[in-house]
Amino acid sequence: MENLVSFIVRRILIMIPMMVIVSIICFTITELQPGDFLSQYLDNPRISPEQIEALKRELGLDKPAYYRYFLWVRNIVTKLDFGYSFSYQRPVFELIWERMGWTVGISLMTILLQWLIAIPLGIFSAFRPYSFWDYTFAVIAFIGISIPEFFLALILMYFALNAGYTYIGGLFSPEFIGAPWSLAKFIDLLKHLWIPLIVIGVSGVGGLYRIMRANLLDTIGSPFITALRARGLDEAVIKRHAVKNALNPLVSIAGMELPNVFSGTIIASIVLNLPTIGPFFYNALLNHDQYLVMSFLMFIAFITQIGNLLADIALALLDPRIRIA
Amino acid sequence: MRKLLVWFLVVLSVVLLATEFFTEDKMLCSSSQPKTGGTLRLALASTPESFLLYGSLDSSAYTVIMGPLMSPLVEYHPITNEIRPGLAKSWTVSSDGKQVWFYLRDALWSDGKPITADDLIFTMQYFVMNKYARGNSVDRFTIPDEKGVNKPITWTKINNKVVRAELPSPYGAFLTVLTAVYIYPKHKLEPLIDKNDLASVNKLWLTNVSPSEIVVNGPYKLSQVIVDQKIVLERNPYFWKKDPYGNQLPYFDKLEYLIIKDPEIRLAKFIAGEIDYMAISAADYPRLKQIEVAGNAPYVTFASKPVGSTPSPVHISFNFDTANPKLREIFRKLEFREAMEYALNRNRIIEEVYNGLAIPGGGLMLPTNKAFYNPKVEQLMRPFDLKKAASILDSLGLVDKNKDGLRDFPDGTTFEFTILVQNQPKDYQQIAYIFSEELKKIGVKTNLQILDSSVVGQMFGAGNFECGIRAFGNQPDPQLRKAIWQPGQQLYYWHYSTMNRNTNPPSPVFSEMFDWEKRIWEIFEKAQIEMNPKKRKALYDEWQELYYKYLPVIFVARQMNFFGAHKSLGNVVQSPEGLPTFTVWTTFRK
Repeated sequence: MENLVSFIVRRILIMIPMMVIVSIICFTITELQPGDFLSQYLDNPRISPEQIEALKRELGLDKPAYYRYFLWVRNIVTKLDFGYSFSYQRPVFELIWERMGWTVGISLMTILLQWLIAIPLGIFSAFRPYSFWDYTFAVIAFIGISIPEFFLALILMYFALNAGYTYIGGLFSPEFIGAPWSLAKFIDLLKHLWIPLIVIGVSGVGGLYRIMRANLLDTIGSPFITALRARGLDEAVIKRHAVKNALNPLVSIAGMELPNVFSGTIIASIVLNLPTIGPFFYNALLNHDQYLVMSFLMFIAFITQIGNLLADIALALLDPRIRIA
Repeated sequence: MRKLLVWFLVVLSVVLLATEFFTEDKMLCSSSQPKTGGTLRLALASTPESFLLYGSLDSSAYTVIMGPLMSPLVEYHPITNEIRPGLAKSWTVSSDGKQVWFYLRDALWSDGKPITADDLIFTMQYFVMNKYARGNSVDRFTIPDEKGVNKPITWTKINNKVVRAELPSPYGAFLTVLTAVYIYPKHKLEPLIDKNDLASVNKLWLTNVSPSEIVVNGPYKLSQVIVDQKIVLERNPYFWKKDPYGNQLPYFDKLEYLIIKDPEIRLAKFIAGEIDYMAISAADYPRLKQIEVAGNAPYVTFASKPVGSTPSPVHISFNFDTANPKLREIFRKLEFREAMEYALNRNRIIEEVYNGLAIPGGGLMLPTNKAFYNPKVEQLMRPFDLKKAASILDSLGLVDKNKDGLRDFPDGTTFEFTILVQNQPKDYQQIAYIFSEELKKIGVKTNLQILDSSVVGQMFGAGNFECGIRAFGNQPDPQLRKAIWQPGQQLYYWHYSTMNRNTNPPSPVFSEMFDWEKRIWEIFEKAQIEMNPKKRKALYDEWQELYYKYLPVIFVARQMNFFGAHKSLGNVVQSPEGLPTFTVWTTFRK
């Protein structure tokens, strides 16, 4: 137990320099992006050059990059202030928080759906390798992995629209947006939700399914299964043991899914008009809304580390060998 | 004396119209049996960044504020673009043109408090003329006096309902610039301003403010903001407009903006009937029309002559100050620019890029703008004629010397230039491509440089280009586009040596200007202080002719405008001249 605690403490301490490095890299990249927040106003005849200068001073864009970086970091460390959005003129933390609800909701639903479909299919395929169904699922899975999300979204919407289906884009029909929850609203949500769930989930299902199938095939071929068989155990019991063991590596995958919850749906959300953080972040990126972009990237980096940590802890609990690594 | 007479007539006509309630034009209220109630649904590209017009530079905020939530002092007629009374029911002008009295209507704020002179002066002081406000208009309300010194227009309260504006000199575009001034409530906003920090106004009425705190004077008031999904406005019972049959406007109980970032989804939602009215792109129009003609669409579409300021008309520019001295010399020759116009195949561009739905030129003023358009420019446009273009280039000494099929400079080096164009919108690139293809036929080598818009903007701003393709918007009054079309200004980007950036504000450099550029400069200065509409028109007529004659830029084409409206909307019709009528306060659900 003591081992595990020191392992966690060590991992958390490593996170600090990692975050610093990540922040420097991200800041450098956003700086390298040509132009700044004010470039979009340069060819607007309503805005005079003097006004651009005034805004530049107000936003601190006249200062050198390293100065702005240290100021930003100082405010985070001393005041937990992640800065203001240039365009919304509000604290970035508030803005990101406002958009968290549906981001987490949709992603968790997708992940749940992915696991519920991929794991049973993987098990099914692994027990009947190289059969007709195994090949069929493999083809579908590969298509699912390789098709770009936005393209799948457009195709699905096109067919739905042509078939006269009108529940397209967004999560609700206009009259239910902002209305209190009711059965009718929930049904309306389901009518909208299936397209995003398919679009966002399909590549993950393909990937998970292939991993599960490969794991299980490995396990079935391993000596301990042969040993179980040699002892004349019931085939159903053997399968149960094989599946249990094959699920182990998926634990670490589950941890790594965490950052995907926030960043995996950006393109699909734009095309499908979902009120998640994705389109908002994309806009901020285009607008050079630097502190908003930085805070979001830092948040993703942080979540990635937490995800890995959780995965490692889970694995450590399952497999003590990890703790000394 | 004649000036006085003209103004007397203008004033008289305005005073006759004045009543406490404004009665909307029959043109916009064509149906005498409107129904009230229901919800109007429109699309918006993003959540507005603010509900204070002057604290933001965001176009979604502009859409929701200008018209639906707020009213201006004087306004444009939504169809004819004529200036008509807004919150000021009338105004009078002194005989020297330097004093204007505005008489405010007995209108109320959405919380029932009266709109007074204090609100107008407050708005001017803290927002419009506050240079720390992000969306201020100090520039538009600062004009040179008789000695040429820039001075701000001052505003004085005469009584609760009368305000006097004092101008340093007569200002022809005064009412025009006032159409963009939306009046905000002093009783709500003044307590929130930090008077020691005038930039604090930018933090007012942001997206985290409770809708009930936002007090307005437009047809609707804010009711609900659902982040990135929907903005709900509800009817303002105190709105100051009535229809010609005596009914209070607006007819709809609610106006909802669905927030839809992606244009494809917007279109899908429109086809599905979820959005009631929207502008359509030229590329989408044929498909929508097809569905409509097939008879199973919930909407009707309109194709109209170009109106309004978007989409911007595209032009080609040649940098008079480009770094390469040989190119600089050629670009400065009118004959060269004429040859380039002869080589510009406008018809092909209109057919291939715009599906035939555009007009040639359309650069400075639109033909639908009866107040300022000069039809003479149509004759001044040089028609597509490659032979003529080639012979002009020959006469300039740009001939193929080494027989490689490309024209050369007299010194034997290949004559070539780079066309700089941004990657969005697509039509700019397509025009660049067609232009370069035609030039190739007469042996002119061009290189296309297609880059991200922010990079391109910076390069133009720094004068770092050879040939450029760009677009700037049409406006109802040329005065509003002075920053683009007057030499020596910040956006006169093809000839930046006419501007001295070392003075504050930048000043014109006459020694660098061609004679015709000096004349254009003069025209803008004269038209600015000219109060007589006829004389202003004459000046701007000459300006348009000079542009088409001397080609500082070559105007390519202006796309037509396309709109779609849900079948069930009332009071949405197209006029015989092709202009669609739609306002958020006069439509209703049949």
